[in-house]
Amino acid sequence: MAFNFNWSPLTADADFYDRARDLLTTALNKSPKPPIIVDDILVTEFNLGSVPPDLEILEIGDLAEDRFRGIFKMCYSGDAFLTLKTRVQANPLNTYLSAKPGFTSPQPLAAASSLTIPLQITLSEIKLSAFIIVVFSKQKGLTLVFRNDPLESLKVSSTFDSIQFVRDYLQRTIEAKLRDLMMDELPAIIHRLSLQLWCPDQIPLYDEEPKEADEEHAVNPLATPPLDAVDANGQLVGSAAISELSLDGGPESQSLFSKKNLQRLSDLTGSQFTSSLFTPSVGDVMFRAWAGPSDKVDPANTPPLSTPNLVRTPSYTGSAHAYTFSDSGSQVNGSFASRPSLSSFNSATAGLALGSGRHNKAGRKKKMRVVNLRRKAETEANSEQGDEASEVSGPATPMSEPIMDHAVLEMPEEQSGLPSSSTNKVRFGRPSDLPQQPRRQSVRTEAFKASDAQVPSIKASDATVSSQVPLRLSEKPAPVSAANIAAADAKSDWKRSKPMSDTSSVILEQAWIMKMAGEIARRVYDEKNRNPAFWDDRDDAPPPAYEAR
Amino acid sequence: MREFMHYITNAFYGATGWNEDNTYKALNATARELIDFPLPRGLRLTLSSLATPHFATSYQLGSVGIVDGSISYLHSSVPLTGVAARSDRIPLPALLRSYRRLHDLGAQERQWFWGADEPTAGPAAQTPAGVGASLDKYKSSLLYGRLYLPQSLLEGLVVRRFSPALQVQLSAVSERSLRNGGTLLGLVQYDKGKYGVEGLASTDGGLLGVRGLYNFGGDTSPQAVTPPAGQTYSESNGNGQSAERDRIYGRFSTGGEVYYGTLNKSGGMSLGARFATLPAHRGTPLTATLTINPLMGNIDASYAVLARDYCSLATRVEFNVYSYESEWAVGMELWSNRRPAGFLLGADPNSQPEPAPEPPKRKERSFEAKMEWRLDDPDPVAPEPFKTESEPASAGSKEEYRGVLKARLDQNMRIGLLWEGRLKSLIFSLGTGIDFRKLGEPFRSLGLEIQYSS
Repeated sequence: MAFNFNWSPLTADADFYDRARDLLTTALNKSPKPPIIVDDILVTEFNLGSVPPDLEILEIGDLAEDRFRGIFKMCYSGDAFLTLKTRVQANPLNTYLSAKPGFTSPQPLAAASSLTIPLQITLSEIKLSAFIIVVFSKQKGLTLVFRNDPLESLKVSSTFDSIQFVRDYLQRTIEAKLRDLMMDELPAIIHRLSLQLWCPDQIPLYDEEPKEADEEHAVNPLATPPLDAVDANGQLVGSAAISELSLDGGPESQSLFSKKNLQRLSDLTGSQFTSSLFTPSVGDVMFRAWAGPSDKVDPANTPPLSTPNLVRTPSYTGSAHAYTFSDSGSQVNGSFASRPSLSSFNSATAGLALGSGRHNKAGRKKKMRVVNLRRKAETEANSEQGDEASEVSGPATPMSEPIMDHAVLEMPEEQSGLPSSSTNKVRFGRPSDLPQQPRRQSVRTEAFKASDAQVPSIKASDATVSSQVPLRLSEKPAPVSAANIAAADAKSDWKRSKPMSDTSSVILEQAWIMKMAGEIARRVYDEKNRNPAFWDDRDDAPPPAYEAR
Repeated sequence: MREFMHYITNAFYGATGWNEDNTYKALNATARELIDFPLPRGLRLTLSSLATPHFATSYQLGSVGIVDGSISYLHSSVPLTGVAARSDRIPLPALLRSYRRLHDLGAQERQWFWGADEPTAGPAAQTPAGVGASLDKYKSSLLYGRLYLPQSLLEGLVVRRFSPALQVQLSAVSERSLRNGGTLLGLVQYDKGKYGVEGLASTDGGLLGVRGLYNFGGDTSPQAVTPPAGQTYSESNGNGQSAERDRIYGRFSTGGEVYYGTLNKSGGMSLGARFATLPAHRGTPLTATLTINPLMGNIDASYAVLARDYCSLATRVEFNVYSYESEWAVGMELWSNRRPAGFLLGADPNSQPEPAPEPPKRKERSFEAKMEWRLDDPDPVAPEPFKTESEPASAGSKEEYRGVLKARLDQNMRIGLLWEGRLKSLIFSLGTGIDFRKLGEPFRSLGLEIQYSS
């Protein structure tokens, strides 16, 4: 394999230097200038020189006719140069006064009179050494990012070379400025240039950088492309272009949406911010409000693994509950299921705080699955959830049966002292009580459809649950720390949810959880009422975290 | 238009006998005000009041796209009883006039308390009785604070007199965006009449500065400062017979300033000289200044003349010997005694009750003559404002001028127009900036300021 990099054709293009000069000039004048510079910065001369940079290929991630992704090591010590022209204010008192409030100004009479000096700066002998990530595709142009600070050294010569102090100052300032330019501005400039070369029609759209909306799709959106498909930028994509697209194309992969649906979804989202009563009808979408307990899903697929979570929930009767239902539909990796997680606090205030947090952020943030089983004393603040969640979402360990058993076994102990578990049941049975995300963006139709196959069924029969519970209760649990349980349970949760990552439906699952939890709570309550003795002598070594308050 | 608080501060200086023009800072104030007058931007309403002789308040509401405002309070330990603070009484020249006449150097430290006592000879100012009576008055102080509301910018000023010749000013600004949250400027002023020295220190960059002004010639010469000499001048003026008085009679001032920023290790300096005719001069009052910045090679010459009492002109030329850059600007001020409403609405001036019917006609012609630079109409009332200006309190009752038009032009073909006047009891200021270089949208700014005070 061979690559042929042409350095001279770039310089042979007469238009190229003009364009590059214009782009550099606008880039240099974009940020607010310090008061010492009193005029626009003009790029008068710009030459890339004749010595090409040395490129060493470190890695090629993707290669096709119309796209390329690779990492290079670049060394450059060529004869490129750049000449800037501007005018500077030479009176230090003038620049000093320009940024000061007039009320405390000393109001000099003529000591601050301005003296502007034309200044010409030439940057030459530029030495660069950097790791470069180059991503090229015909649709999106060329993206070039520096992995590290590329500038090794350069020579600054100016009008004031005879004055040592000024020369040093200029050298320092320009080096710092140039580092910024290389890291921030140059990728944008190159991107624009490449767009002009390859896809001039996209230029006006690139005023804002394209969002990284691509990666969240693990579903194949190309299987059923919408009729009026648009890409992430809202541009129409023809059917030919769609067929060209591939899913695993890395950054170039296009996400396709129905433009109409996107419009409606944005309307819907917008209507949540206001008090507008208008609800646009989005096709192929089930709203959460419709998802009542009567929603039936496939009965054949009942993963019993999800029961521990639900069984345990009623055990906190009497304590304040906070249920954080996380929305992972918008997560980047898309591997997290949209699956509610439950967190319990022993104090009502903590629960309230969680609830309020839900209103603010829960709908938008990247969600973490949080199952917080600790007591109030151990849970310092809500902020800890983040830490815990991050550790929870670590590598998934295989589900182990005993852990699940422990998790189940907690329930009756709490239950024994507090016979009012029916409140929980009521709570679960009433969807309006449940915390709901104010906005659930990216309700994807594909995901919804596919979820039919894998979402745990509501048809987990009552008999199964009720038989399961006492059966497990008979086992003797070893005292396990609450944190362990929480972590393990969260892991199991995570693990379990992973298979249905891309396909899960939040709505149905929540409905199912509501129903299941309510059912279980009722069962347990009934059971306990029927046979209190069984609950009393059940266990004498409770896990420390669940000791009676 | 000077702001109300500025006007009150000036009144405080007047009441305490402090000559604020006797500093190097005010060396070219006349030309600066004639040329660099500020143009209002947007709409600005000011509601002010001198509630008690010691206390003044001012509320300002402005709108330049966004609404902002300020609240300011001022307290003076000296009762400002004689000050006309109502906006229908304020003498307009005190508020609007740009041309500054020189104050009498000898009298500046006596006029305030001698107004009550009987005046004695000049060198006797240091008599024990006079000093004792005035000592507590010289301990006067002024406190001023202003809060700009949306920005939460706070300004504070303390002026304190320690002796007849020594005054200390402390001004501070507090705002979040400033470094260290604000700046403080201390100013020590020492004014001995013949010379004035100021030292200043700012917390911003550790700036230190010294500036001084020295007066010589004219009334500061030893024989001129004696009262008999002054009498002979005025007498000869009255006679108008002596040919030697026709030659220009004025005062020279020279001074310089040096600044050094201790933290940023930078500095600046300038030297300046001024010649200004004294009020006793019979001919056209004029002021000429020349300032030089030897470090930056800047030379700045200005010339201002009070061509008629209703017309002042000023020019200024700047040149830099290092960069060969030059600038020029001219400014003009025309006073009108017509009603501003007549200007505005084209109403009949006769509807105005107070003045006699004929003077407006004559004024109208004379104003046209002014606009055509045809000064052939000898205005009979021209000499009068000399007296009204010297005694502003009495001028309030019988006011001569009702409006003033200020204009300036610089080498970039930018024109600033400002029309200020009194409309019933409101003092307004309407200004615009026009750029002839950009004919597409020549109006760079437009603003209206309305001030009411009681």
